[in-house]
Amino acid sequence: MKKILLLFFGLTLLFQTTTLGAVGCDLNDPDRDVKRFFPQMTNYRTEYLSIKTLGGENLYLLIQQRYGDKFKGLYETIDVPYTVYTVLKGKEIIGYIHGVNQKGKYGGLQVFLVFDPRGTIIRQYFQKMTASYAGKFRSDSFSSQFIGLKLADFIKYDVVTGKFPPKVKNPVPEGEDDFKAALRGAKKNLILMDIFVFNRQGREK
Amino acid sequence: MINIYQVAYKNLLRKKTRSMLTVLGIALSAWVLVSLFGFNNGYEQSLNHDIDNLGYQLLVTAKGCPYEAATLMLKGGTGLRYLKEELITEINKNQEVEKITPMLMQVVLDPNKGESGGLTAYLGIDAATYPGMKTFLKFQAGNWFTPSASNEVVMGYEAAELEQREVGDIYLIPEKNLELKVVGVLKRTGTQDDGTIFVPIKTLQQVFGKTGQVTGLGIKVSKNADLVRFEDKMYNLPDVQVVSMVQVKQTILNLVGTAKVMVLSIAIIAIVIALLGVINTVLMSVFERYQEIGILKSIGAMPLDIFKMVWTETLILCAIGSLVGIGLAMILAQISDLLIRRIIPYAPAGMLVQVDFSLILFTLLVMIAIGLLGGIYPAWRAASIRPLEAIRSEGE
Repeated sequence: MKKILLLFFGLTLLFQTTTLGAVGCDLNDPDRDVKRFFPQMTNYRTEYLSIKTLGGENLYLLIQQRYGDKFKGLYETIDVPYTVYTVLKGKEIIGYIHGVNQKGKYGGLQVFLVFDPRGTIIRQYFQKMTASYAGKFRSDSFSSQFIGLKLADFIKYDVVTGKFPPKVKNPVPEGEDDFKAALRGAKKNLILMDIFVFNRQGREK
Repeated sequence: MINIYQVAYKNLLRKKTRSMLTVLGIALSAWVLVSLFGFNNGYEQSLNHDIDNLGYQLLVTAKGCPYEAATLMLKGGTGLRYLKEELITEINKNQEVEKITPMLMQVVLDPNKGESGGLTAYLGIDAATYPGMKTFLKFQAGNWFTPSASNEVVMGYEAAELEQREVGDIYLIPEKNLELKVVGVLKRTGTQDDGTIFVPIKTLQQVFGKTGQVTGLGIKVSKNADLVRFEDKMYNLPDVQVVSMVQVKQTILNLVGTAKVMVLSIAIIAIVIALLGVINTVLMSVFERYQEIGILKSIGAMPLDIFKMVWTETLILCAIGSLVGIGLAMILAQISDLLIRRIIPYAPAGMLVQVDFSLILFTLLVMIAIGLLGGIYPAWRAASIRPLEAIRSEGE
């Protein structure tokens, strides 16, 4: 009985330690997942970045300007901690992994993009998606459409109307809302990575 | 004209390093003392707060049933056992029962969560009785579903954050493909309620084919009831396990008690070391001023004056040391909090080290009393110096 109680309270404590600040988007099992995306990797570095600390309100506005819409909801706030995984082979950087949370029709989407060192997508991955048709969005046939795309391919995409999409096709006609959310999440991810890693425009630190 | 207190103060300034080191020793002791007693207050208050936040004093589950989401998740959503809902009527017959609420915990495997699927837990609750027990739960937006509602859901803050849900959104229970409308998002509580997804119990029973079954009954006992007797009565019910929050609290307090004894021992050692430091410093100072004290006495200072002067030096050292220590304890309370959290087996939410005015006053008085006690011997030695002997020793 005591053991169960300890376990329960220990886990309650674990929950409590994760209650501070806005929620970020981490890989569930970084050791396993990074190796899965980059089998040749020897090490990886984890950085926690937030718009608030990198450039504050000005950067927040700049991102929304490039994004073409305001960040919405209770949870797309300025203090969201974003996790960037820098993947190394020896001392050489061989890629990056970054995920964002995005509101889907039935639940949250976790849109991860895997980049080469120059910012080209080499893999797209929904770590989480809630919908009856989620399997089709998580399939290789859908995610492979993102391979080779860059921020430039998304820059014209209107996240509000869904006009000028990149060359990615919706696998589920009834899942149009989630398809748009997936592209919206990908664009947000690309803009943030451009600021965090590739271009560093608007960063004060 | 210079008074006895000024003389004492100036004496301490003559050996600044020694006086500072003594003050530091006392400060460290005061810091340990304040932090220890602050922890004593804070821990129990925080624990009471956590236990009260559970909303009920007794949880009745079927024997062997994991009764909390965390345990359930660890067991992979298996091992659930059920009680008949009719048990509520039977338990309600006891006059000790003030309120009772049924709960049904269910878990689904969401294949689209992570690489190989993840578990999501749902807590079925009765909107007519559950909110009355958890009155501390406040809403970020929206409200509880109405008792007659069916396809509605209320989400804890973190659950809503993870699912990016707001009031009015649709939420889907995977596996069952049931669409629910989000009617409320709770504010953060710092408890496991933050990660909970609340669904009307009838809906959950229907969807999971558990009509008339529950996984737990939360019972709030009336204020004057004999909890132990009532608990025994509950054990007489067949195939039931009773978890008493008082027991939970006592178990945790016992576990933490060991850590407290250790810290208290360290505090006592620190106080003794500080006391010896004070005696040493003041006694050294008396020996160094042997001739000086002799001259003071030869020009008319009475033994009581000398005693008061030396004792005042001790008083000043202890008062400054205590104040510095109390200040340190207040400034570093959060760091102490973090350190304690690493040591003890269970740390409740809230500040573990709580320093209030009465504690400050208590520490100040204890430290000054200890210092004055330590100052008696050096002061007595100083007061007993014979003027002629002292002056004669000048040339030796």
